[in-house]
Amino acid sequence: MLGRIIRHEWTNLAADRTVWVLAGLMALISLYGVYNGATWSAFQRENIAMALDEERDRLAGHRAFVESGQEPASRFRNPLSPDSVGGSMGRRYAYLPPAPLAPLSVGQSDLYPYYFQVSTNSKQSFLNTHELENPSNLLSGRFDLAFVVVYLLPLLILALSYDLLSSEREQGTMAMLLSQPLPLWTLALGKIALRALVVLALALGFSLAGYTAAGGALASMDALLLWMAVVAAYSLLWFGLAVAANALGKGSATNAMLLAGIWLVVVVITPAAVNLVVTTSYPIPSRVELVQALRTATEDANARSAEVLSQYYTDHPEYLPEGEQPDPNDFTLRSYAVREDVERAMAPVLERYDGQLLRQQTLVNRLKWLSPAVVAQEALNDIAGTGLARYQHFLGVVDRYHDELRSYFIPKVSARATMTTADYDAIPVFEYQEESFGEILGRVSAGIVGLALPMLLAFGVGARILRSYPVVG
Amino acid sequence: MTATIFKKELTEMLRDGRFRWLSTSVLVLLGAAVLMGMAHTRDVQTQHETAQAAARQDWVGQGEKNPHSAVHYGTYAFKPTMALSAIDPGVDPYVGVSAFLEGHRQNQFEFRPAQDATAMQRFGQLTAATVLQLLIPLLVIVMGFSVFAGEREQGTLRQLMSLGISPGRLALGKALGVSGALAIVLVPAAVLGVVALTLATPGAEVAADAPRLAMMVGAYLLYFGVFVALSLAVSAKAPSSRLALVVLLGFWIVNGLVAPRAVTDVARSLYPSPSSFEFTTGIQAALADGLDGQSPTDARMAAYQQEVLAEYGVDSVDELPISFAGLRFQKSEEMGNEVFDYYYGGLNDTFESQNRVRSLSAVVAPLLAVQSLSMGLAGTDVAQHRHFSEAAEEYRRMYVGRMNEDIAQNAGAGRYVAEAGLWASVPEFDYQAPSVGWVLANHRLSILLLFAWLAVALTLAMRAASALRPV
Repeated sequence: MLGRIIRHEWTNLAADRTVWVLAGLMALISLYGVYNGATWSAFQRENIAMALDEERDRLAGHRAFVESGQEPASRFRNPLSPDSVGGSMGRRYAYLPPAPLAPLSVGQSDLYPYYFQVSTNSKQSFLNTHELENPSNLLSGRFDLAFVVVYLLPLLILALSYDLLSSEREQGTMAMLLSQPLPLWTLALGKIALRALVVLALALGFSLAGYTAAGGALASMDALLLWMAVVAAYSLLWFGLAVAANALGKGSATNAMLLAGIWLVVVVITPAAVNLVVTTSYPIPSRVELVQALRTATEDANARSAEVLSQYYTDHPEYLPEGEQPDPNDFTLRSYAVREDVERAMAPVLERYDGQLLRQQTLVNRLKWLSPAVVAQEALNDIAGTGLARYQHFLGVVDRYHDELRSYFIPKVSARATMTTADYDAIPVFEYQEESFGEILGRVSAGIVGLALPMLLAFGVGARILRSYPVVG
Repeated sequence: MTATIFKKELTEMLRDGRFRWLSTSVLVLLGAAVLMGMAHTRDVQTQHETAQAAARQDWVGQGEKNPHSAVHYGTYAFKPTMALSAIDPGVDPYVGVSAFLEGHRQNQFEFRPAQDATAMQRFGQLTAATVLQLLIPLLVIVMGFSVFAGEREQGTLRQLMSLGISPGRLALGKALGVSGALAIVLVPAAVLGVVALTLATPGAEVAADAPRLAMMVGAYLLYFGVFVALSLAVSAKAPSSRLALVVLLGFWIVNGLVAPRAVTDVARSLYPSPSSFEFTTGIQAALADGLDGQSPTDARMAAYQQEVLAEYGVDSVDELPISFAGLRFQKSEEMGNEVFDYYYGGLNDTFESQNRVRSLSAVVAPLLAVQSLSMGLAGTDVAQHRHFSEAAEEYRRMYVGRMNEDIAQNAGAGRYVAEAGLWASVPEFDYQAPSVGWVLANHRLSILLLFAWLAVALTLAMRAASALRPV
C-alpha cells in the first residue's frame, strides 16, 4: 500500500512544473555554494604554499651565507647569530591546512588567521594577524553550501510539504481517499516518504557532487558520511514539523504561515537572540585595553630587567648551558627575560578575553539546542573544520611549536653560540597534527542527537494529533 | 472616501490577533536591540577614550630621549565610536579597533571584535538595524499580502467595487491602512529610541548627530514604503492570497538572506583583493627596491645625499649646517610613504569597488541600498573606517616628520637627547568625523536606487490596482 502511495505521489509531484523549477534552482545554488567554498579553500592552500616557498628560500639563503664563511654586514641581521635567526630571520610558518570538507562550509575560516610567522618573539607579536578582507563581506558572510543547507533547504522542504494533507482536503479528495481501506497515517507517511526521498537525494547528491568537484579524496569519506547524516537529520526535522503542522487540520494558508513563522524563529530570530544573551551575559571588553596593558607590562619589565633576568634562568635552567653563568648586563639575554616576564604579566589580561570567550562558547553550547539551525551550522562547521573548536586546537599546536622553537634557539643564545649549517638543518619544522576523527565525531554526534530528538518529537506529536484529524470540513 | 477605507483597514488590522502578536514581538526585539546596543556603544566609547588618553599620557611623559627613539616608542590611534552605532553597528565588529603609529611603517588596524566572538555572531546580530531591515518588511508583508487577494476570496471585493470607488483611491486607502498600523508600531519605538539616545549621549553630540538620525529615519521610511507598495501590487495581481504570500515571502528571502551573501562572492570574484601574504611581501619588496623594483633604497639614498651636499655646496655630511640623520630619516619615511600609499590605497580602492558592486546589486535587493545608507549615516561603513585610518596615518606622518625635523635642526655630532617638552609640542590626535554631505555623496547610488525602487513599486501598485479584477 505504502509503495502505491509513494508511486502515485511521484506521478503527482513530477507533473508539477514548480517542483522541477525549485529542484533546478536548488541544484544551481548548491553548486554555486560549493564553487565559492572551493575557491576560498584553494586560495588558502595557495597562500600556505607561497609562504612555505618563501620560508624555504629564505632559510636556504641564510644557510648558504653561513656555508660561505662571509662576515655578516649587520649585527642585527646576522645569519650566524641564533638571536637574529630565532627572532626574525629564521621565522617559520605555522599553518592550518583547509580540511578535506572545507569547501562545503566557509564557517569562521574567513575570520580566523590560518597561518602565523612563529619566532622566539612573544606570541603577541605574531598572533594578531588576519587575512585581508573587505569588512562588508565579513558582515554578510559567504554563500556556501552550509548556508544553502541551514537556511534554504528547510524552505524547499516546507514548500513541498506545507499542504501535504490540507490540499487533499481542500480539493475534496481526502474523503474519497480515506473511504478506501487506507489508514490516514499510511497516507501521510507515504506522502512524506516520497518527498523526503526526493529532497534527501537532491541534498545528499549535491553534497557528494560538490565534494567530488572540489577534489575531495575518498579517504575522507567518513567525514562526508557524517556531513550527510547531519543534513539528513536536519531535513527530516523540517519534514516532521510539516507533518505536525498538517496534522492540526487547518487550511493550507494557515499551515504556510505557521511553518514560515517557525522557520523565521528557528533560523533568524533565535540565533540572533542567543547571540544577544551570550554577549550581554559575558561581555568581552574592547581590545584597546590590551594595548595599554601590554605597554605598561613591557615598561615595567624593562625597568626591572636585571631582576627579571635572574628569575628567568631560575625558571629555565634548561636554557643555560652547563657551567655557564648569565651575564646580567647582556642586553640580548635581558630582552628574552623581559619578553617572558611580559607574557606572564599579560596572562591574566588575556584571560579576560579568552576566558570570557570560553564562557560565551559554553553558554552557546547550552543554548544552541533552542535552535536546530544553530546545532546544524555548528555541526557542519565542525565537520568542515572551519569552526572554533578546530581553530583552538590549531592554536594549541602553534603554542607547542612556539615552545619548541624557543627551546631550540634560546640555549644557543645563552651560550653565545654561532649558527652552523647543521644548526640550520635542525631548526624544528612545523607539523600540523589534525584533531582525531573521534573528537569531531563526538561533537558532531551530540549535534545529530540534538537534531534527531526534536525530529522524533515532531513526528510523534504529528502522529498523535493525526488520530483526531478532521477528514472533512 | 479614502479616509473611510483607511479607518476600516486600520481597525481590521488592529483586531487581527496575528498583527497584535507579531507587532508586539517586533517591538520587544527592537527595544531590546536598541537598549543593548546603547549599553555596548557606551562601554566601548569609554574604553576607547580612556585608552586614547592613556596613549597620549605615555607619549607626553616619555622623558628625555632621542626623537628617533620616540618614533619607535610610537603611539596608538583608537577608533572612536559614533553614538548612532547603537542603532547600526555596521562593519564595526569586522574592522580593527587600534593601530600602532610608529616610524618607518604604516601598520594595519588590529583586533577585530568579531574575532572575540562565537560563531553566533555570523548568524547576525540582533540590532535595531536588523529589525528594521529584516523584520519590519516581514511585518508589512504579513499585513499586506491579503488586502486585495483576501477580499477577493471572501467576495467582498466585488461589493466594494460595485460601489463605484476608483481603484486608485481604494489602493491609497489600503496603503494608508497598512502604513498606519505600521506607524502604531514604529512611532513609539522611534520616540523611545530618540529619547534614550539623547539621554545617553552628551548634548553637543546629539545636535551633531540629529541630521544623520533624521536622514536615517527617512531612508528606512522609503524602504518600508517599497514593501508596502510591493505587497499591495502583489496582493492585487495574485490569483489567490496564498500565492501572494508565497511570492512576497520569496522576495523577502532573496532580499534579506540570499542577495547579501551571493553578492559577497560575486564582488570578490569581480574585484579580487590581494592576500595578506602578497600584500606584505609586496610592501617589503617595494620598500627595498622601490615600487618599480628597479631602484634600490640604498642607491636612492646615496643620490639624495649627493643632492643635499650639492644644495649646501659642501663635500661631506659633517660639514652640513644641519644634521643629515634627520634628513635621512625623513627621506626614508617619504620613500616608504610612497609604497604605503600605493599598497593601502590600492587595497582600499579594491574594497570600494567591491562595495560598489554591493550597492549596485540593490537593483535586485533594496536591502543592500538601505543597509549601506544606514551604515553610512551611523558612521559605521567601510568608507568611514578608511577615512579614520587615513586620518591616523596622516597624524603618524605629521608627528614622525616633526621628530625628524627636530633631529635635523638640533642634533649635532654625538649623542642627541631631546628635551621632554618636545613630545607635548606634538598636537593631540583629534579625529574629525566626515560631514553628512560627504556620507551622502558616498552613497549617491544607494539613495538613487532606493528612490527608484519606491517609484517602481508605486507604479506597480497603481497599475495592479487600476487593473483590479473583482473575482
